[in-house]
Amino acid sequence: MATELGVSDVLKARKDYNAALASAGRRERATWFPLALLILLTLLPALQITGGHNYTLHLMLYAMMYAAMASSWNILGGYTGYISLGHNVFFCIGGYFSGMILAYFGVTSLLTAPFAGLAAAIVGFAVGLITLKMRGPTFIISSIALLMVARILFDHWQFVGGSNGVALPQMDIPAQWAKLPYYYGMMIVCALTVWASYRIKHSKFGLGLRAISQDEVKAESAGIDTRFYKVLAFAISAFFVGMAGAIWGEYITYLRPNIFLIILVAANMVLMCILGGKGTVAGPIVGAVVLIAFNEFSVTFFGSSEINLLITGLVMVLALKFFPAGIVGTLAKKGRLPRVLDWD
Amino acid sequence: MLSSILQVLILGLALGGVYALMASGLTLIFGVMRIVNLAHPIMIIAGAFVAYWLFRLYGLDPILAMPIAAAVLFVIGIVLYKLIFEKEAANAKYSEMTVLLTFAVALCADGLLGALFSNTQRVTTPAYGTDAFIFGTIFIPKGQAYAGAISLLVIGTLLAFLNFTRFGAAIRATTQNRAAAQLMGVNVGRVSLITFGIGIALAGAAGALVSFIFSFFPAKHWEWIAILMSLVVLGGMGKLMGAILGAFLLSVIAAFVGTYFGSTWSTMTFFLALFVILLVRPQGLLGDKIEEA
Repeated sequence: MATELGVSDVLKARKDYNAALASAGRRERATWFPLALLILLTLLPALQITGGHNYTLHLMLYAMMYAAMASSWNILGGYTGYISLGHNVFFCIGGYFSGMILAYFGVTSLLTAPFAGLAAAIVGFAVGLITLKMRGPTFIISSIALLMVARILFDHWQFVGGSNGVALPQMDIPAQWAKLPYYYGMMIVCALTVWASYRIKHSKFGLGLRAISQDEVKAESAGIDTRFYKVLAFAISAFFVGMAGAIWGEYITYLRPNIFLIILVAANMVLMCILGGKGTVAGPIVGAVVLIAFNEFSVTFFGSSEINLLITGLVMVLALKFFPAGIVGTLAKKGRLPRVLDWD
Repeated sequence: MLSSILQVLILGLALGGVYALMASGLTLIFGVMRIVNLAHPIMIIAGAFVAYWLFRLYGLDPILAMPIAAAVLFVIGIVLYKLIFEKEAANAKYSEMTVLLTFAVALCADGLLGALFSNTQRVTTPAYGTDAFIFGTIFIPKGQAYAGAISLLVIGTLLAFLNFTRFGAAIRATTQNRAAAQLMGVNVGRVSLITFGIGIALAGAAGALVSFIFSFFPAKHWEWIAILMSLVVLGGMGKLMGAILGAFLLSVIAAFVGTYFGSTWSTMTFFLALFVILLVRPQGLLGDKIEEA
């Protein structure tokens, strides 16, 4: 008596097996750690009751911003393998979009940030349609050209203040609590980005992206709509960077091209991602924390942004030469990754 | 009208020669090692600084300083290759990581030059820098004319070297097919090393010329990255003749755009051209289909 096995039975069995594997994986995962981190970050501003911790809050806000941006960059650069060296263009678009609404209509960026992200994503989608046609060196080159084009446009666009930029109105909050709205805003953006990064990595979409990064031709022949996947990844990655830009713009109370459109911002995003581990979920966050801590030290000791540039470059050379897989990646390869950092 | 068109054309061609020299090293290095050297423009700035200080301290003419700048940058190129790029060059395949490595080197050099000399605008001022040849209604600034002519001379020498010497043949062979060149007894490691040095030396030579036709400062190289890359991409990555063709073509177009629409848009020409090329003919004018990474 031969059992009749239909295709659907096989598919169902495979699905069940995968689900069982996944749930086994989930049980081992230290989900409590990111949540605990989030709660800790939520409670941190309580320090301000005694006052005098504005610097700590600023540093945390800054770290969360870069964690968000590096995670967002990771969706394109890490999962898909397309290195963009001009991603701060979207940071700038987000900042200016919300900033101009704030300057003309008085609506705070905290409310308009999602729309700023959307604006950045739309631009990203349009640009991606052109530049993502090419794999390899030309994409990287085009991303630098994009940055240069944006710099010239914003420097000469009088409506947004040209190269002098615009000053933004400040919220009427006592100095002790002034950072809080932006702190929480950035925290939400950061949490959203990391969550999205995790979800994308574990979706069919993310699998497709990783297939593209391995071998685009094979991915295409396996039935993946590579063009659409890439452009969508680019847009998503622009979206979160744009949101971070919106909040950052109001937080520092002025918009100027040479805050948003300098290469150091792009370099930081890339470096954090590589330092932490390209293509891992926790990597960009680890990278952001490490690099910002390191930068704070180096600025304290050496000052001047030129030296900072030099040090950023040196760290990048060393990271690429000796730890191309990054902190999280290298530890994971050796099987020494602490469970609390295994967010994949 | 006609004479003004001729005027712009001549200015464009003179600058085109310098752009071609700036891009030649870049395309040579890409051809042999598949390294997209984002640090190339900062090396041009470094060459400009060599010429600048020789002029300021010893009154040495920047054109005479050109061989010195080239020699200094050759040494820097060799050291960089030995320290950083040897493994990547042996790989001989394009990789994102290598581009990032050159990006990091560019950051280092930018930071170092900025810290040493500060980001103020500089220019060497030899007497011919502000003088001009005048033919009837047409004038040609002497600086640009000399720079263009010398660039062509250097490029001519480079082409002769590549086409008529044994080592040049080895470089061309390695560009065409590295594995086959190695099988034919070419020491590709040495070819890569010397080519990298020559490429960077060409950047240094270009830098000496740039020092009196443009004002320069360390952070300016980001703009040049995009400009040079647009020339190289237009011509076809790794094709020397392509880069030269691209340089003249874009430089003339940029000169016309600059004359009729203002100098901001002249720089923009290069960047927009890059996007147009990517849309229309991504492999460039003379390029073959770009190999998959």
